[in-house]
Amino acid sequence: MMLETFSYLPALSAGQIASQLRSILDRRLVVGIEFTNAPDPHDHYWAMWKLPLFDVADPAAVLAELDACRRANPGAYIKINGYDPVRQGQVVSFVAARPAES
Amino acid sequence: MFEAGVREYREIYWTPDYAPRDTDVLAAFRVVPQPEVAPEEAAAAVAAESSTATWTTVWTDRLTTLERYQAHAYRLEPVPGRPDQYLAYIAYPLELFEEGSVSSMIASITGNVFGFKAIRALRLEDLRIPVALVTTFQGPPTGIQVERDRLNKYGRPLIGATLKPKLGLSARNYGRACYELLAGGLDFTKDDENITSQPFMRWRDRYQFVTEAVSKAEQETGERKGHYLNVTAPDCEQMLERADFAKELGSPIIMHDFLVGGFAAHTTLSRWCRRNGMLLHVHRALHAVIDRQKDHGIHFRVLAKWLRLAGGDHLHTGTVVGKLEGERETTLGVLDLLRESHVPANRNRGLFFDQDWASLPAVLPAASGGIHVWHMPALVDIFGDDSVLQFGGGSAGHPQGSRAGATANRVALEACVQARNEGRDLTADGAQILKEAASRSSELAAAMETWREIRFDFEAVDTPDVMSA
Repeated sequence: MMLETFSYLPALSAGQIASQLRSILDRRLVVGIEFTNAPDPHDHYWAMWKLPLFDVADPAAVLAELDACRRANPGAYIKINGYDPVRQGQVVSFVAARPAES
Repeated sequence: MFEAGVREYREIYWTPDYAPRDTDVLAAFRVVPQPEVAPEEAAAAVAAESSTATWTTVWTDRLTTLERYQAHAYRLEPVPGRPDQYLAYIAYPLELFEEGSVSSMIASITGNVFGFKAIRALRLEDLRIPVALVTTFQGPPTGIQVERDRLNKYGRPLIGATLKPKLGLSARNYGRACYELLAGGLDFTKDDENITSQPFMRWRDRYQFVTEAVSKAEQETGERKGHYLNVTAPDCEQMLERADFAKELGSPIIMHDFLVGGFAAHTTLSRWCRRNGMLLHVHRALHAVIDRQKDHGIHFRVLAKWLRLAGGDHLHTGTVVGKLEGERETTLGVLDLLRESHVPANRNRGLFFDQDWASLPAVLPAASGGIHVWHMPALVDIFGDDSVLQFGGGSAGHPQGSRAGATANRVALEACVQARNEGRDLTADGAQILKEAASRSSELAAAMETWREIRFDFEAVDTPDVMSA
């Protein structure tokens, strides 16, 4: 499974994920975390991990939620989305964590 | 009484005091008058012949109120460095144009005047389409955001390839080439413009094999894929028959050559796409015949505006860096016209007027033609995320084949996006970013070795005029 943006690069380190989060937050996008155990190219709705992180400004806070999601769902693919309320759509999305064995 | 005879155009149509109305269609023409013709008379002639006048007065002029329908030539500017040329600004009343019809605009504004003897050459540089007219058009069937939502692709340019060789593959081999590219990491593959339905590969066979390739690549990668199935056909009935079959097979996208098919056929197809939830990729064969020469024709920015009105989800725009004409500032102006809701005038980019698109959906610019991995940093920098970058030869020309070529391009693309988001300068650090990525991708390393020296450094023909303040 390749799963879209950044999936042709080596898995991003925590520091690299934090850099991407920094750019998402600098663009004033709303960050959301979603996960699934069975990715499908025609599935638009992975499960939401809590509500989108409105008003979060620190990448560390998002990384903490990503980690919590991973511990609660060890077999899941987890993606980070950036939502633009002006454009009314996602403008960023990448898979930030995969199942340990994948 | 009726006074028969011939009057100078400028008596009626040269109106330097005229204040254009918000509802007027405004045109900027580059005019080269014959040596004995005054620029005011030439500008007035263009206004006259593209609106109410003919060469002589006619008695039926008295049956209407021509002032209500006449165009106004309201400004003249010399072209810097070209003493024989002038920019003539002409305002047309809204009532001259049929609602929702690009055909009407073309016939009115670019009709007889282009062959007028008193004018040596004429070029339509820009056209301001008033919001009152914009809102009578459907526009792009889908738009950029909905395309991304459907295909689940965010935060990067989309990436594709035109299948090569352009001509001569059987349908089954064509599907193979398509599958290899998509499985290797491309989002889209594309019919070349001269692929329609020739004896060596009929359209129905191509559609079926390509659909299998798309579906197999989706299952293997977990990503949405598509192939631009060209539906450009000998007539509209066959065009729609091909579109219907593409839909029946489940293709997310079809392709049309808008200038080849003509605006009436294209508008029919664009409306069909809106009704059927189909993306529409638009090729632009014929454009350089119309738009490349500076002195005569129609600038591509005008063709692009007409396309946004008639509707298309992708439009080829030139690459700046590849093998085809496309000066940087001019191309940036066209990108704005395709993607933004409001585009302010900017003479350095050849934009003569503000253009307001109201809520018309946006068009994804497609960069295609002689681009390869070394161009990737510049392409990501110039085009940004909302674009589709197409590497035909730059994928299938890879020493290890199409799949490795596709992977090389995808790796290069993602490395550039990642680096940009980290705050690195793609112009200054581009080569270094690619080298770092190539150290972890043998496909990219081989591609970089193959195309290291290939550049297309020729002087552009179609450039904006240097403006003094």
